[in-house]
Amino acid sequence: MNILEMKGITIQFPGVKALDNVNFSLRAGEIHSLLGENGAGKSTLIKCLTGVNNMDAGKILLEGQEIRPSSPREAIELGISTVFQEVNLCPNLSVAENIFVGRQPMKRGQIDWNAINTRAAELMSRFHLDIDVTRPLSFYSTAIQQMTSIARAVDIQAKILILDEPTSSLDENEVQLLFEVMRDLKANGMGIIFITHFLDQIYAVSDRMTILRNGHLVGTYSIDELSKVELVTKMVGKDMDVIFNLKRADVAPDAPVMLKAEHIGDAEHIRDISLTLKKGELIGFAGLLGSGRTETAEMLFGADRIVRGEIQLDGAKLSLTQPFDAIQARIAFCPEDRKRDGIIGDLSIRENIMLAVQSRKGFMSPMTRQEQTDLANKYIALLGIATPDCEKKAGELSGGNQQKVILARWMAAEPKVLILDEPTRGIDIGAKAEIQRLMLEMCGFGVSVIFISSELDEIIRCSNRIIIMRDREKVAEVEGVSCTQQDILKIIAEGAA
Amino acid sequence: MNKRFDFSALMQSKVTWAVIAEVLILLVCFAIRPDFFSISYQPSTGMLYGSLIDIVNRSAEITIISMGMTLVIALGGTDLSVGALVAVSGAIALKFLRWDVLTYTTPGDYTVYPYFLVLIVPLVVCALMGLFNGFLVAKGGIQPIIATLILMVCGRGVAQILTDGKQFTTGYSPFRVIGQGSFLYLPMPIIITIIVVVAVALFTRKTAFGAFVESVGVNASASRLSGIKAGTVILIVFMITGLLSGISGLIYSSRIMSNDSNNAGLNFEMDAILAVVIGGTNMAGGKFSLAGTVVGSLIIRTIVTFVYYFGIVSEATMAFKALIIAVVIVLQSEPVREYFARRARRREALAGGDAR
Repeated sequence: MNILEMKGITIQFPGVKALDNVNFSLRAGEIHSLLGENGAGKSTLIKCLTGVNNMDAGKILLEGQEIRPSSPREAIELGISTVFQEVNLCPNLSVAENIFVGRQPMKRGQIDWNAINTRAAELMSRFHLDIDVTRPLSFYSTAIQQMTSIARAVDIQAKILILDEPTSSLDENEVQLLFEVMRDLKANGMGIIFITHFLDQIYAVSDRMTILRNGHLVGTYSIDELSKVELVTKMVGKDMDVIFNLKRADVAPDAPVMLKAEHIGDAEHIRDISLTLKKGELIGFAGLLGSGRTETAEMLFGADRIVRGEIQLDGAKLSLTQPFDAIQARIAFCPEDRKRDGIIGDLSIRENIMLAVQSRKGFMSPMTRQEQTDLANKYIALLGIATPDCEKKAGELSGGNQQKVILARWMAAEPKVLILDEPTRGIDIGAKAEIQRLMLEMCGFGVSVIFISSELDEIIRCSNRIIIMRDREKVAEVEGVSCTQQDILKIIAEGAA
Repeated sequence: MNKRFDFSALMQSKVTWAVIAEVLILLVCFAIRPDFFSISYQPSTGMLYGSLIDIVNRSAEITIISMGMTLVIALGGTDLSVGALVAVSGAIALKFLRWDVLTYTTPGDYTVYPYFLVLIVPLVVCALMGLFNGFLVAKGGIQPIIATLILMVCGRGVAQILTDGKQFTTGYSPFRVIGQGSFLYLPMPIIITIIVVVAVALFTRKTAFGAFVESVGVNASASRLSGIKAGTVILIVFMITGLLSGISGLIYSSRIMSNDSNNAGLNFEMDAILAVVIGGTNMAGGKFSLAGTVVGSLIIRTIVTFVYYFGIVSEATMAFKALIIAVVIVLQSEPVREYFARRARRREALAGGDAR
């Protein structure tokens, strides 16, 4: 039985049809993946269902009744709950408060804290999480924060649960835990809409999938109907081979050493790490979340203070006390958390792109408006950033395009060493391939790249050498050409061979 | 090049609404008193006179301070100490003019210390106090509202100590020029204001400093990782605000030819914050508009002048001011601007249809 039916949904934005006559249906007790590249219309469809966007045409039936939610609150009251990619909770409130905020149980005119805390603990234990629910949310990992928002949705007895990229910041075990919870909810008759960019996860957990492309419906398929290759081809509208025809950077054996770190360590996380990076080489950092990949990268960029060891760039000793120093030395760093550390949302694309160049020059030697515009337009064209012009606010772009803007910021700064921390997280497969291609092109121009990613296949596909981190130490260094995913997983699990 | 005049964007701009509000208030004044707009020339002082001139003249202190406040707010902060710094600046100036009141018992047309010290020392001290604010914020990581509360509270105390709790007066004529003199037919405070506004505008918009301020205001962490020295930017902004408060203090004390540690600059921080907000700069930080702030400051002063001019009882001044400001702020709120922008778009679409 269809719990939800969306028929002929059309949404017109100034200049574009964001959705054109799209149909979507969801059964009770089903996990239904919604797929498409960035800008395909997934978010718009969800926003239409959750009352954020107004439809220009079409209708929504919830259990046979026509609904027209006009605000997120109304949608929630109708039983449509959403868990967003970026956790939308209050980090300074406790886990329990977050679950019950806005609808705290009352007792004699006062909030019944006991009830809140016990019920919250019960809910979390349903998810096999035995945690102290009175601790502030920020105390816990992203996974637990995500579970908290799901717990909130479960407790308000949602009929439909929308999970928008819930797994992009979770590690493998956490993903499995989430899947268990999803299957559990499905067994209880909830309809789940699952949005993700990880193809494996779609096949692991969903029953059906609906694919969108450029605001049009491509089709709805049951999971065993389409192979992965067919799926990607339908999503992108092109052949998969073209996208993945990437060649590893070509490094001459006698290429000069660009960056050399000897026994560097910081105050709290990393004890001792050494690495050498040749000109035009790409090194991959593999390892679990929290294995020290990010901290190492931050040390090389001056964002995390080095207390031991020495860094040499191009043969000269380098002292880094702040990111400014690294930028002066032409080291660039694309941080992991795009929203917090990367994009400056309220500023235009132009300003976002020129920022690193300008900060290297110092504010007393400003670029003219024309220079800024030319620079921005050059990179908008080069990276294929989808925007009407360079004055659009960067925060209004889709995730993949934001990532490209940040990449443009660092490419414009003409780095010798480019450090990319999870540059492909949370973006679609087409944009992913494009960013990998750009990375390898930079290597071709003699830029040395450090590439951090949780996805082993892309690390193996792109890297000349792979450094494997475990428990904040470098446990192995392997050649990219000769190793397999299994080899790396084994080292991550068991330490160096 | 053939860029069409974008009416809906104009209706969405907060500055537009501030200008409309100012014009409306002035029109009401004009309706009640048709001579409100008249400007006359007084040969004896070499100055132009009139309500409009008076509004601009009297808004000088707030306009000057709010130039700095705009930058502080663009960083996502507020500076509560500006009013106290006005008092400090005046106290120091008078201290130098009348160093030892026991020896120089009667005020007159003299200064005990060289005149340049009378001007430079207050400005340097105020700039240093601003730097102190900035240091607490940038290096101590203290929220600006708390950090500047320190000087807000103790600044007036410092002013009291400097002048032994006394109110000095002076008759030194070069000092009188700052607040009461004229240049090019205009009162000196207007000239100083123009210089300050132009200087701040050039400094922020002709260098990349303004962009850095906005960037840090939107996302400090990302700005730091893009190589901006966020701490330095914060220090400079608070120092500028301190310095401008000092200038404002000199104008204020020159107008009354005295120091007044209790009342000089009283509530200036609130007026300055209001001027910035009315001018369309978001309290959460980010994009700022200096022109909007100037309009905001003029609106505040126009209201006060209006109240004086039409003999509304002075007890009601504050309430009246609050009323008009409430109206302006509501007009600028997101839903209202959105409503008018939508209407404008619809009208444009209709007009476009006619053309075809």
